[in-house]
Amino acid sequence: MRFELSDEQELFRQTVRRFLETEAPLSTIREKWYLSTGFDKNWWQRAAGLGWTSLMVSEADGGGCLSGLPACDAAILAEEIGRSCGPGPFLPVSVAAFAISAYGSAEQRSALLPGIVDGTSTATWGLAEAGDAWTVDDLDTTVAADGEDVVVRGRKLYVEAANAVDWVLVTGTSSRGITQVVVPAGTPGMTVQAGRSVDLVRRFGTVTLDDVRLPATAVVGEIGCAAEAVERQLELALLLQCAQANGAVGELFDRTVDYAKYRYAFGRPIGAYQALKHRFADMLQRLEFARAIADSAALAFDRAHVCADGSAEAHELARIAKAYVFDAGLDIIDDCVQINGGIGVTWEHDAHVFSRRVALDRALYGAPELHKDALVDELGLVAR
Amino acid sequence: MTDPALESVDDFAQRARAWVVDHLPERGDDSLSEHELQALLFDAGFAGIAMPREYGGAGLTLRHQQAFYDRAAQGHRVPTVFSVSIAILGVTLLDAGDEVLKKRHLPRILRGDERWIQLLSEPSGGSDMAAALSRLDRDDDGWILNGAKMWSTAAMSADWGMCLARTDFTVPKHAGLTMVAVPLKNTPGVTIQPIRHANGVEADFCQEFFDDVRIPADHVIGEVNEGWKVSKILIAHERLAAGGAAHGYGLTARSEGGGGARTADPAVLVEVARRRRSTVGLRQRIADAYIERRVSKFANERIATGIRIGALEPGWGSIVKLHMGMNSPRESKIALAVHGCDGVVWDGDEPVAGNAGEDWVISRGPALGGGSNEMQRNLLSERLLGLPREPARDVDTPFAESLRQRSRDT
Repeated sequence: MRFELSDEQELFRQTVRRFLETEAPLSTIREKWYLSTGFDKNWWQRAAGLGWTSLMVSEADGGGCLSGLPACDAAILAEEIGRSCGPGPFLPVSVAAFAISAYGSAEQRSALLPGIVDGTSTATWGLAEAGDAWTVDDLDTTVAADGEDVVVRGRKLYVEAANAVDWVLVTGTSSRGITQVVVPAGTPGMTVQAGRSVDLVRRFGTVTLDDVRLPATAVVGEIGCAAEAVERQLELALLLQCAQANGAVGELFDRTVDYAKYRYAFGRPIGAYQALKHRFADMLQRLEFARAIADSAALAFDRAHVCADGSAEAHELARIAKAYVFDAGLDIIDDCVQINGGIGVTWEHDAHVFSRRVALDRALYGAPELHKDALVDELGLVAR
Repeated sequence: MTDPALESVDDFAQRARAWVVDHLPERGDDSLSEHELQALLFDAGFAGIAMPREYGGAGLTLRHQQAFYDRAAQGHRVPTVFSVSIAILGVTLLDAGDEVLKKRHLPRILRGDERWIQLLSEPSGGSDMAAALSRLDRDDDGWILNGAKMWSTAAMSADWGMCLARTDFTVPKHAGLTMVAVPLKNTPGVTIQPIRHANGVEADFCQEFFDDVRIPADHVIGEVNEGWKVSKILIAHERLAAGGAAHGYGLTARSEGGGGARTADPAVLVEVARRRRSTVGLRQRIADAYIERRVSKFANERIATGIRIGALEPGWGSIVKLHMGMNSPRESKIALAVHGCDGVVWDGDEPVAGNAGEDWVISRGPALGGGSNEMQRNLLSERLLGLPREPARDVDTPFAESLRQRSRDT
């Protein structure tokens, strides 16, 4: 339960909720399953008009958030999207826009961000590679300087909305270290193999970069110096995933509690049986803890990156949040499906819609297992 | 919301800080006893910061109190042993006691001159407190107490107990109870025995026996036969204290005090794992132990804040309590795995306390004391989620009849 929202944030949350309920209600999600992009571009522009794509862009670049804490504001939005399993590439657009606004050149910012902010263009991030590889030190994609150009070679997997976006932020390595480039859609040598996901409306793709030649101005920041940027992008992606998952899990939980109050068996509401009451209490505990850690991770991100205070904590809390929120989230969903009974495993019931979203985000940007492993390394117990 | 005549929290924090720096020993300096420390606070007007002045408090708010512990007291020692006495019993007395009792006891409680405990649970039942068998019988103008209480924390060093006992067996169980103040030191008929923990250590809690103990009439807290009402107030304050929003102690003091066994401390787990030949299967479990503790820190702080500012009802404290009760045995199992043989076998001929094995055998303590996990789950599902209450067979039956039924059943 969020109780620390300002009036402005609360208003924003309600506006988002109303917009999603009227313009992308959960009841229509099964129709969108048949669309190739999963979202409508006009709809996305209306969402952008409400400020969805401005939050992670600095005011100097035409963006702006509500509270001065952009990730906290974006997390409010992500949670609402999760509640209704809303469509649209909010997560990858936010991360790509943040990267350009925070690390891009003046030219990149003025060329790329206005379209993001008004919703006429969209973008995504290509990080992972084949074999479920999300670790930056492990990338095969290369960015090689060649005179006035750079040449990018590699294959990026699990790229969200790859088929729909105007540009892709690609993370690779160069002889000088981690490097990121902006690759516009349709650049010669770049091919997108469209793909689907277990989520009903979020589409993915594999981006192949076959000696893609770009001007050196496509590099974001200095060549070889993107390690910190990638770290921050990953933190942002993780905390938005967590907020979104909490929204989805919380919604299914609330609905299931209601159901247990009105569904009768053997003369009593099923929610009167201690066998279920106690499970609900356990779920509530984990859900509240999940919300607390997701909010704390968002706040730590803003403290580190807006107030330049405690980047180590932001890094650690993002990992902890990912591990906790998704371990708890999947268990809660699983329990809720069971309590909903047979109807809970039908296509008509919404349980699978929430379950799909959480199962998808569990895997993206590193599963809990990956982040736990990294946490233990960081605690000083190096794997051997 | 706040009274404009009140000193602002910032002014108070500054004034308090200046006093703390001059008067309180630094952390780690044990030259003063806890009692001396509490008396020092009281004499300077910093005990019972949110309690009324007429009973020895400072007449300010919980925000002032929190500022004292979070800001003013930083780096300095504050007393920690009086939290139950002040934040649970003292505040219950403030809410439920008459003027005579409040004037007599509250200043002494706040100064640490009197330590109070609660005497609610009995050997015959811990969760179902309203089924108390201890009895109070009229004697001239006072009462005679007979019975036994159990699981009372720190009873060996307590001066007074707030005791729930039955004054009427002919009415249903909640209607025949009375709360009385029982002097525990040098009182004829009072026997206090410590309870030995499963790890062999004499625990901080005790069992008390009362044999024909005389209780003067003016020791009744609240009205005769309305003891259940008083115990509900007491439990509400206990819950507030568990949520970190209690009178007397700030959040910092509490969150540092909480936590599980040292053998399950993630830093210890990492240290121990590094000495092992193999860590196969252990890394993810160490991460789990670490994550639970880190997440609970943020969740507990948030819930405490919510309760303190009134955004959450005190029942939310049960989430914190339930997690503590579930996590203690869970992380203790992880400690058993990581410490391995070295946690359960050692050299020498002496018993050793505090290894992973001994911690494990008492790790269910937090899942039982202060309201079992099952009680917390009932409370959360009923109060916070609005699910139907558990049916109780004995609420309308005269208590004497319930007892007869019980002996027929068993």
